[in-house]
Amino acid sequence: MPAPVYLDHSATTPVRPEVLEAMQPFFGPRFGNPSSIHRWGREARVALDEARERVARCLGAHPDEICFTSGGTESDNLAVLGAWRAGRARGRRAVVTTPIEHKAVLEAAHTAAREGADERLVAMTADGVADAASFDALVRDDVAVASVMWVNNEMGAIQPVPEFAALAHERGAVFHTDAVQAFSKVHIDAAAVPFDILSISGHKIGAPKGVGALFLRRGTAIEPLFHGGSQDRGRRPGTENVAYAVALATAAELALRDHDAEGRRLAALRDRLQQLLVARIPDLVVNARHAPRAPHILNVSVPGTESESLLMALDLQGIACSGGSACQSGTASPSYVLSAIGVPPHLASAAIRMSLGALTDDAAVDRVADVFPRLVAKARGVAAA
Amino acid sequence: MKERVLVAMSGGVDSSVAAALLVEQGYDVVGATMKLFCYGDEIVDRPCCSLDSIDDARRVCETLGVPHYVLNLESAFSHDVIDDFVSEYARGRTPIPCVRCNTFTKFRDLVRRADGVDARWIATGHYARVVDGVLHRGADRDKDQSYFLWGIDRAVLSRMLLPVGHRTKAQTRAVAHRLGLAVVAEKPESQDICFVPDGDHAKVIRSRLGADASSLAPGAFVLSDGAVVGRHDGHARFTIGQRRGLPGGFPTPMFVTAIRPADRAVVIGPREELLGSGLVAREVNWLAAPPAVGTRLHVQVRHRAPAAAAEVVRLEAGEIELALDEPVSAITPGQSAVFYDGDRVLGGGFIESAARAMLPVVA
Repeated sequence: MPAPVYLDHSATTPVRPEVLEAMQPFFGPRFGNPSSIHRWGREARVALDEARERVARCLGAHPDEICFTSGGTESDNLAVLGAWRAGRARGRRAVVTTPIEHKAVLEAAHTAAREGADERLVAMTADGVADAASFDALVRDDVAVASVMWVNNEMGAIQPVPEFAALAHERGAVFHTDAVQAFSKVHIDAAAVPFDILSISGHKIGAPKGVGALFLRRGTAIEPLFHGGSQDRGRRPGTENVAYAVALATAAELALRDHDAEGRRLAALRDRLQQLLVARIPDLVVNARHAPRAPHILNVSVPGTESESLLMALDLQGIACSGGSACQSGTASPSYVLSAIGVPPHLASAAIRMSLGALTDDAAVDRVADVFPRLVAKARGVAAA
Repeated sequence: MKERVLVAMSGGVDSSVAAALLVEQGYDVVGATMKLFCYGDEIVDRPCCSLDSIDDARRVCETLGVPHYVLNLESAFSHDVIDDFVSEYARGRTPIPCVRCNTFTKFRDLVRRADGVDARWIATGHYARVVDGVLHRGADRDKDQSYFLWGIDRAVLSRMLLPVGHRTKAQTRAVAHRLGLAVVAEKPESQDICFVPDGDHAKVIRSRLGADASSLAPGAFVLSDGAVVGRHDGHARFTIGQRRGLPGGFPTPMFVTAIRPADRAVVIGPREELLGSGLVAREVNWLAAPPAVGTRLHVQVRHRAPAAAAEVVRLEAGEIELALDEPVSAITPGQSAVFYDGDRVLGGGFIESAARAMLPVVA
């Protein structure tokens, strides 16, 4: 069988060798607790502070604005629930978000609603972009937090975060953006765009699973999720995971160093893959094709197929893609994201997300462009039978 | 490598061993676990069909070095199996959902999935055998599951592999140990219906139809002469031949002999009133050449019941009437009547009605 093709970088990425190397000392000689007063503690503390500074530089932020977390889900929960609870304390009663957010944001917003928040969902355009007029109408001066992802994880559609952040600020609302898929794919600068909170995740950019960070602009009030020691200014109690903080900093720097060249490379590969697939499957639907898109995600629906069966057939050919959101048992179900932008059910349940990254090259594109149309033809034959 | 086979894996020992044996025989095995209904918190301890079972199936496949997939068949299963289950109770019948699951879910929908991945074969862990294209009882008569398989499309028989069907359960467990499938080797048997937590089918009816479902509403216990002898809290809680939950004070043991959804009555009577001299079955499906009127065969009216000698007295589009040589007890509408010639499964149908062997004696 030909070389396997991993087209699921939006699910996770392999740890980069440089990252693995950078974190090694903290499992061995530099194992100390950063809160300890002795030499071991100091060594760990210095590494942690440096990691914080490095991540801050990557985001155009101050080091004290960076809080390390266990990953994207914790970052999103801390952002949405933390800002909601702090906002509630000063009389704000609503939470605004979009229906295409990651579940970590949506479920946090639902939790806020159970705590009394008025949960408002921004209308989506059919292109896959949150509607500006709807956002404007929903973000009134009673909003505690508005949360809009920067790049959608299923479609790659880039959301108008700079405009929304500015508008939220005018209304006195805290603005959070989930930038888990956006980091290193779109330009992010806290000095240029007035978001208050921003989430990133390590394992999407070559760091291990289990680490993420939150940018928290100075002056932004949040209530912590955890209660304990005074680590990270009390925002995130618990002994810091120094090795993983170092890993995240290293991965973030490498991703930004490669940002321009890698972005162009992935966009070219993605465009070529899209062109080949459209040419070979004329009725293929490219989801969010009219939206500005991040370079690494291609989401397609083929009428008359079903993503679950296609993903299985692709895997048996050594090609890894994903469908909608995966549920705990590992089944695919119709994408709630695509449904939310008005994609009809027969296409939302036929969606295949191909996400490109470090492991993607021309040969991979050629192979997928060769195999995918054949599997589609086969699947349609079965469906018609 | 031999042809590809899609193996339906529940995470239990039988289907795990089925997969392992096929790997051993050189097949290109693809494991699949069907997710058939929503796994609520209430069923975490179930040995089958829970997320744990999916994990077990995945681990077995990993041990075997074959791919494993979870297939979401929830909406079709809900429609084909659970809806029918609930409406059968509403009609005063006792449904047998495993038959419909085999007919529609495993050997229709799953076969479609097999087509999608170019699998020539479909395999399960059923205790039944396909011999020369004809379905037979499993070699282990205690475990025989042929009773549940009569409804499948006859054409599928030529693609079915039932690797444990000629083994005993003990042999299957031994194979599991030999092949290192410790995860599943000593799993307890799953006895209940997979989507009915704790055997409480009223809970399923309530969740589908609401607490005011007619089949769960109070009604009367009556004798065959119409005398009211008590109250029950829903005819769906009863099946023909049941003794539990009936009013006492009778000189002989009493049994449920009929269920009348129209007036929500549960009819009870002595053992003699359970006897049937014949039956009518509908939705008949043949897995062999259909017999002619006058043909002698054996019919089994319940899982684990002995097969009874009978003669075909009427046969028309999808419906059959049989006369039994000797009366059979508790012939229950909704259950299956499966027709056998020795170990060969000829076909089957859903029991519509029983012919009473004995009219009630009215004093």
